[in-house]
Amino acid sequence: MRTLIAVLAIAALAGCAKETTRYGDARGVETVTNQFGSTDLQMIAESMARSMQDTSVIKSGNLPVVTVQEVRNKTSEYIDTRAITDSIRSELQKGGKVRFAVDASAMNQQVDEVKRQQQSEYYAKETAVQKGQMVGAQYRMEGNITSIVKQNQGTKDVYYKFNLQLWNIRNGLLEWSDEKEIRKTTTRG
Amino acid sequence: MKLTWIPVVVGAVLVVSGCAAKKGFEKGGFAFGCPIGEQKVGSMGDLVKAKTVSEGKRTTIEATEIRCTMAGDLIKIDANLNNDSSSVKRVSYKFRWINREGMRAWEEESWKPLMLYNNSNTMVTAVAPTNKAVDFRLILMSQE
Repeated sequence: MRTLIAVLAIAALAGCAKETTRYGDARGVETVTNQFGSTDLQMIAESMARSMQDTSVIKSGNLPVVTVQEVRNKTSEYIDTRAITDSIRSELQKGGKVRFAVDASAMNQQVDEVKRQQQSEYYAKETAVQKGQMVGAQYRMEGNITSIVKQNQGTKDVYYKFNLQLWNIRNGLLEWSDEKEIRKTTTRG
Repeated sequence: MKLTWIPVVVGAVLVVSGCAAKKGFEKGGFAFGCPIGEQKVGSMGDLVKAKTVSEGKRTTIEATEIRCTMAGDLIKIDANLNNDSSSVKRVSYKFRWINREGMRAWEEESWKPLMLYNNSNTMVTAVAPTNKAVDFRLILMSQE
């Protein structure tokens, strides 16, 4: 009988548990789990963009044209590396010292639009873009993210290393490279 | 007789110019390379006080030294954070960038978490995201 009352009481309490939703600080430190999170993404993007701005290629003020290539995810978890490179690109673009050429993933859309303008009779010929006008990138940006995970009964330690490189497409020289390391440790109890 | 004064005059000019050079080493409106505007900054302590802000939960971590330089047309900052307690401390920090008109020159940065060992110092470095940023504040918040 007592067990039944206890079970009913717990069920009633669980039913009454009020759910609340609040807006939070999108740029606050997030430590819900030790998986790759928003703070890691923001820290990496900010650190890489600022470091790249400090390199001679960018500081020269020649508005280098860069294309974004893949950041390979070599960790065991799913990470949207495109979100990282998008943030880096936004920060650099806003800084006004770099221009970005259309990258491989957006090339189909770019070509489709050029074709659409050329082939459609609805566009004025003088405003429709011509073939062969796109600007080729001088530099390409690519990188890797790797992780080392160690775990025992009470502790889980995750180490992330994000490496980004800026390669000169013409001569194949590595113009800039930097890394950001992050360590997160979760302990139980 | 008059010629004996020449070395004295030359010496005096050299001393004065030497002093002038030393005084003029720092541009007006700057202290330790950092922009200070009209503020009176006579020491590193004054500069740290002027440039550091605590938000949210207060931390015992203190900035003890801030130095600035120019990386091209961007301000570059080195700030030394000190944990003089006997325990490991966790803090988060960010820089706030200010333009010539005293308004935000860039969107709010993300908080960056940092761990400091007991009785230790850590140097945090930042480069301004834009040349419109002519001043800054270092913001600290406890993560304990």
